[in-house]
Amino acid sequence: MVEADRCSFCQEPAVIRGREQAERWCASHLAVHLEDRVREHIRENSLVSPGDHIAVALSGGKDSTALLLILTLLIPEWKEVSITAITVDEGIAEYRDETIESAVSITRHLGIRHHIISFPDLFGADLDTLIRRSGSGERACTICGVLRRKALAEAARMIGATKIATGHNLDDEAQSVLMNVLRGDLVRLVQDSSSGEPDCFIPRIKPLARITEKEVVAYLFVRDSYSELPECPYAGSALRSEIRSMLGRLEYRHPGTREALLRSQAAIRKQGGPPASSEGVRRCGRCGTLCNSEICQACRILESLGP
Amino acid sequence: MQVILPDKTVVTRGDDPVPIESILHDLGILPASVIVLKNGKVVPEDVIASGDDQIRIIRIAHGG
Ligand code: SF4
Ligand SMILES: [Zn+2]
Ligand SMILES: [Zn+2]
Repeated sequence: MVEADRCSFCQEPAVIRGREQAERWCASHLAVHLEDRVREHIRENSLVSPGDHIAVALSGGKDSTALLLILTLLIPEWKEVSITAITVDEGIAEYRDETIESAVSITRHLGIRHHIISFPDLFGADLDTLIRRSGSGERACTICGVLRRKALAEAARMIGATKIATGHNLDDEAQSVLMNVLRGDLVRLVQDSSSGEPDCFIPRIKPLARITEKEVVAYLFVRDSYSELPECPYAGSALRSEIRSMLGRLEYRHPGTREALLRSQAAIRKQGGPPASSEGVRRCGRCGTLCNSEICQACRILESLGP
Repeated sequence: MQVILPDKTVVTRGDDPVPIESILHDLGILPASVIVLKNGKVVPEDVIASGDDQIRIIRIAHGG
């Protein structure tokens, strides 16, 4: 009985088990194991190059906190790579303030440069106000996602970053594949933003893309960095939350579903030929950022919500 | 034993040894969606709980 409670690599108590249940990790072996996998994923996909200045998108939530912890640890292994944390304050009452506090305290603790950029500064209104204007919470995550993406890109440009790193984990990635399929959004499905395509955009990298959500949280626990934070009040309204629970059940009954979804995406990308070249790129008629259409997505959303 | 649910309500269960997994199953909770603490320490879900163990279930929040 004691055996089952122990790490497969030492005699310490286990905190998590592998999917096949053969392997079990104690706190310190789990930390090393996850850090190794992130390092490996970054190396295999050449996500970081010498001289990179990485803007780490830090919401203060679980994924981005784990991302910052791991990158801070890996930085000394890379040549002339630096990181700056960027927090976007969308302005979501009873949610964002606490996560921002958490972001401030972790960057202070780690000694990482930190910039906070807010929706009102960039777009003249916070998310709560924009959603009130849209008349329903239905589109909250779409509005939030598009504008946050733009805010991040803007902040990254301002600090001269060469990469933007986000905390998307394996579950997020698998959910996105399914979501794009269910929405019929094949363009999104084959788009690969890690290559910086079209080449004038700052490449976006996802170092945690092979780490499950549960491993991310377990990692925070073993690094003593877990804190219970409020959940976004708009989280339940999106298609994603339905997909999240559906995929959770599928993965439970059919282990490997998440990876299979990602393999499908990779295969479709390969079939889809080279990613859209910079040919279709022009400047947004409103804000001047580079985009694929006459008016960028962010400006379209802002216009639809009126003044 | 005591089981603290994600919403912090506390339920009491019999003291017979039981894998934490079964407790989760009874509650309709997927193991991948939670972290389980047994007497304050993170444990894998196939660990057995019994007697006056305290089990705390923490739901993994969306977003981050
Ligand atoms: S749940 Fe939706 S609205 Fe809330 S922070 Fe995430 S994307 Fe934005
Ligand atoms: Zn160990
Ligand atoms: Zn624009």
